[in-house]
Amino acid sequence: MAKVLMKGNEAIGEAAIRAGCVHFFGYPITPQSEVPEYLAKRLPEVGGKFVQAESEVAASNMIYGAAGVGVRVLTTSSSPGISLMSEALSYIAACELPVVVVNVMRSGPGLGGILPAQSDYLHATKGTAHGDFKMIVLAPASVQEAVNLVILAFELAEKYLNPVMVIGDGMIGQMMEPVEFPVEGVGKPLDPGNWALTGCKGRGKRIINSLYLDPEICYRHNLKLTAKYEEIRKAEQRFDTYNTDGPYDLLVTAFGMTSRIARTAIDELAQEGQRVALFRPITLNPFPYEALRAAASKAKRVLDLEMNMGQMLQDVRMALGPDAAIDFFGTAGGVVPSPDQCREKMLESISKTGSRPKAKGARRNP
Amino acid sequence: MSIYGARATDFLPSGGLVMVVGNYGSGKTEVAVNMALRMSERGAGVSIADLDIVNPYFRCREARDLMEAHGIRVVIPPGAQVSGDLPIILPEIKGMLRPAEGRASIFDVGGDPVGARVLSSFREHLDGAPYELWQVINSRRPFTGDVAGCLRMRAEIEESSRLKVTGLIANSHLVGETTTEVILEGHRLAREVSEAGKVPVVFVTAMAELADSPELDAIDAPVFRIERRMLPPWLRACDEREDPTMPAARPVPLGRAREF
Repeated sequence: MAKVLMKGNEAIGEAAIRAGCVHFFGYPITPQSEVPEYLAKRLPEVGGKFVQAESEVAASNMIYGAAGVGVRVLTTSSSPGISLMSEALSYIAACELPVVVVNVMRSGPGLGGILPAQSDYLHATKGTAHGDFKMIVLAPASVQEAVNLVILAFELAEKYLNPVMVIGDGMIGQMMEPVEFPVEGVGKPLDPGNWALTGCKGRGKRIINSLYLDPEICYRHNLKLTAKYEEIRKAEQRFDTYNTDGPYDLLVTAFGMTSRIARTAIDELAQEGQRVALFRPITLNPFPYEALRAAASKAKRVLDLEMNMGQMLQDVRMALGPDAAIDFFGTAGGVVPSPDQCREKMLESISKTGSRPKAKGARRNP
Repeated sequence: MSIYGARATDFLPSGGLVMVVGNYGSGKTEVAVNMALRMSERGAGVSIADLDIVNPYFRCREARDLMEAHGIRVVIPPGAQVSGDLPIILPEIKGMLRPAEGRASIFDVGGDPVGARVLSSFREHLDGAPYELWQVINSRRPFTGDVAGCLRMRAEIEESSRLKVTGLIANSHLVGETTTEVILEGHRLAREVSEAGKVPVVFVTAMAELADSPELDAIDAPVFRIERRMLPPWLRACDEREDPTMPAARPVPLGRAREF
């Protein structure tokens, strides 16, 4: 199939369709509004259903209901809207239903602004809503990767019967890049298993419910969920590295779009003989702690770059322990760090290691 | 030598009102900014208005510093409203509808019929004054990959703007992955749309890296060399490469990056 040029938001919508999802419930908010805009046009063409809900609260409860009857379903929003949706995500996780949620992050807190940010990292990975539950959280760094991860998100949601969030800053929703889609129907029809409400004629009834007044039953349910999260932790960690083949003095950690900016700076510094590598988690949950520890063991220092005030930094510190030398540079409010700024911060960190630049044309990965 | 190279650019007007419309992401802003720079270089007094009330990022206001360094008047919302997503129409816009002799006005209009609707409020003020309304087409974008899609987009834009499309701009590309074949394919589509819709192809765009390719000689319309100005933050603009004819202004694509 020929490549097409798509906005991230449009590509996310199309990827869902290719994954076999033809049901969308959502509400517009900048900078993700092109997802509902695109799907409002496209879903009728493929026999799907598009509903603009009266609010994010309504939309997230609609996906709860749709998933409950065994329908593959998507919603998307941006930071403040995701906050509104969060209550239902706790219910969906409790009832073990497969849904995919996309958060195209904007700056906060509060209404913040419409420009890009990465400040919902902790919300997505640690504290989406009440109760002990975890979502799988995937962070793409290009429009093509957003396509691939949306398709993967549906697979994982259905494999583990759990909500999966694809999270990107506003840029990934708004920027345009060439993309390719898998040929046809990656998404086989969703298997309603032994849980979906499909009408109980000829079989026993099924109930989807998250109220457990008996403490022991609720406790057992939590143990079951915890065992599932442990299985996910072991099996689903994903990450990407850059420039890690040769020796390096500094390891940069960054996720999503920030990693692209970091790579530009890393390439430019390589020309000057500075050896900097990059570690990019793709699954923000489960976070690849061991892989980061291994990558950092070759570096003298770590620099964490984010478009927030230091959220993934907590996981980086958790991975590397209290004695690790970790610097941090973050921007907020919709301000995007420039390659020059990242470069300066990298040089500052390198200067603290006492390393001298190596010969020009140092080794680089293609 | 002009940064736009040897390809002719006489097809660009030296004055008057040009409005650039098209579907989302067809490349209106990139085309409008490049036109403004080129027309200004050729001696026209150029004003450009960012009428994009649809798109939140990558609007021509992001190339403001560069254009102002070239003496182009950039009409955009003031202060913090510049980073909003509000439908703000400045009073200066009305003055731009009938540019004085030797001056040109360019309107960079928002995408799709919803973005073009803003133009409908100008029809009475135009009152028969001449204008150009150019539809930008990228054959690699969803919904405008074939003649029917382009004609539908045109009809919807004409309905919501209450104005008539007067020309087509073939702007087929895949950013960094563009090939001459993509440009030629876009030209073929624009010709078919032109024949079916009875409006001329004004020009075909080609990214600077490809503009001098001999394959493009097959195009029987003017070829306009485009320098990429609307950049994601990890790419560097052409000004930071070697280009003595341009001042070292660089579009900061999104929020101004600085420390507080």
